Amino acid sequence: MKTNLKHQLLLSLLFACSALSGRFQAFAEDHEHHHHETSLATPDPATVSTDSVFNITDSWTAADGKTFQLGQLGGKPTVVAMVYTSCQYVCPLTVQNIKRIERALPAAQAGKVNFALFSFDPQRDTPAKLAEFAKLHAITSPSWVLAQGSESAVRKLAVTLGIKYKKVQSGDYEHDATISILDSKGVVRFQSNAMNKDIHDATEALKALLH
Amino acid sequence: MKTRQPTFISALILSTALISTAAVSAEDMVLVPEGSFTPFFLKKDNANSSSAAAQAINAFWLDATPVTNRKFQAFVNKHPAWHKSNIRKIFTDSHYLAHWQNTQGSADTADLDKPVVNVSWFAAEAYCEAQDKRLPSTDEWEYALTDNGRDQENLQKQIINWYSVPNQELPAVGSKPANGFGIFDLVGLIWEWTADFNSYMAPPDSRNSGDKNLFCGSGSLNASNLGDYAAFMRYSYRESLKGNFTGRNLGFRCAKDAK
Repeated sequence: MKTNLKHQLLLSLLFACSALSGRFQAFAEDHEHHHHETSLATPDPATVSTDSVFNITDSWTAADGKTFQLGQLGGKPTVVAMVYTSCQYVCPLTVQNIKRIERALPAAQAGKVNFALFSFDPQRDTPAKLAEFAKLHAITSPSWVLAQGSESAVRKLAVTLGIKYKKVQSGDYEHDATISILDSKGVVRFQSNAMNKDIHDATEALKALLH
Repeated sequence: MKTRQPTFISALILSTALISTAAVSAEDMVLVPEGSFTPFFLKKDNANSSSAAAQAINAFWLDATPVTNRKFQAFVNKHPAWHKSNIRKIFTDSHYLAHWQNTQGSADTADLDKPVVNVSWFAAEAYCEAQDKRLPSTDEWEYALTDNGRDQENLQKQIINWYSVPNQELPAVGSKPANGFGIFDLVGLIWEWTADFNSYMAPPDSRNSGDKNLFCGSGSLNASNLGDYAAFMRYSYRESLKGNFTGRNLGFRCAKDAK
């Protein structure tokens, strides 16, 4: 296990470096092209699929301060995880694994997917804190959204995704590490343990949704 | 004076008795005073110590009784999205309000004062939100049940007796005496949703070892009170739930911050 972890850390370091060079530019270009896509209108509830996560209408605040509803992630598949920024081990690894999924996609497809991180921690994870976290993890692509919501919005999303968590006295959270993949209509199509280094199945599930 | 006093006292006793046995409407909330209780499972910090950690609970309002069919019907009338025929699939399994069997899909008149059951967590949550309330946390619910330590032995017997009888026809809410806090029907009627039923309640050791069978082997040894089989049942039951589940003996009541 320990060697795996070291390996993992090395990989993430390598990635951080590569992000600063080639990939960063790719993200920057992406940013130009897709800049306005994040401000999609909320879909009419009547048109939302009955088994879709988009039936939840709580408001979330993104790292850029803009508020949105889950339905606004529609139109593209979305890779979803719940994390919190003070989390030392599980959450950074979750983010790394989602980035590995992103990298495993052909360049043309990566821009057709949303990557969404929802915080367990409404008190500490302000939009500014989320922006800092994004920076720390070299998340610059507009395909990514990091979000803060009310305690009840967090609970509702976690219950919907089947994620158990509990705030402990230190203010930290004990939680499941789960990666969920929603289709473009917000229906959960795939779930896996976020600690799972083998991202093959997740990537295949995502690719299948892109066809 | 001498003759009046006993009358006054008996009047007082009578009125107290009336308060605790009279039917209570679901708007009625009870202010549960702040205090502390020992959760069934030990906290991480002292899993190795023999003394269990007391959990502080802030004062909060709690519905005196579980939510009734009558109240839930009023909610559904006002929010048709939660009608049996409209509810979104993601929010429930197929047994949502299965006991509302008439053609309109509404509550049977005979059941109006019985606790509403066959409701998912999402429906319970939406109901409380619509009343500007929330579901109680598991800690709050368990704290209300401890009743400040009043007559624990009898309470546990009562619970176990209830757990051991097969499902019976549900009585109206508030038919039995309230506990010391003034709360009715925490035991003996239905299981109740809590806001954070999906919390981790397992002892830290079993988690760290990656043991998914949370209640097997050494797991239960970390419980704060090994004799409290009833608590074990409740925590296991909650652990087994998913937000879209419904049950013919699963209902809820709402809470509110005291502020």
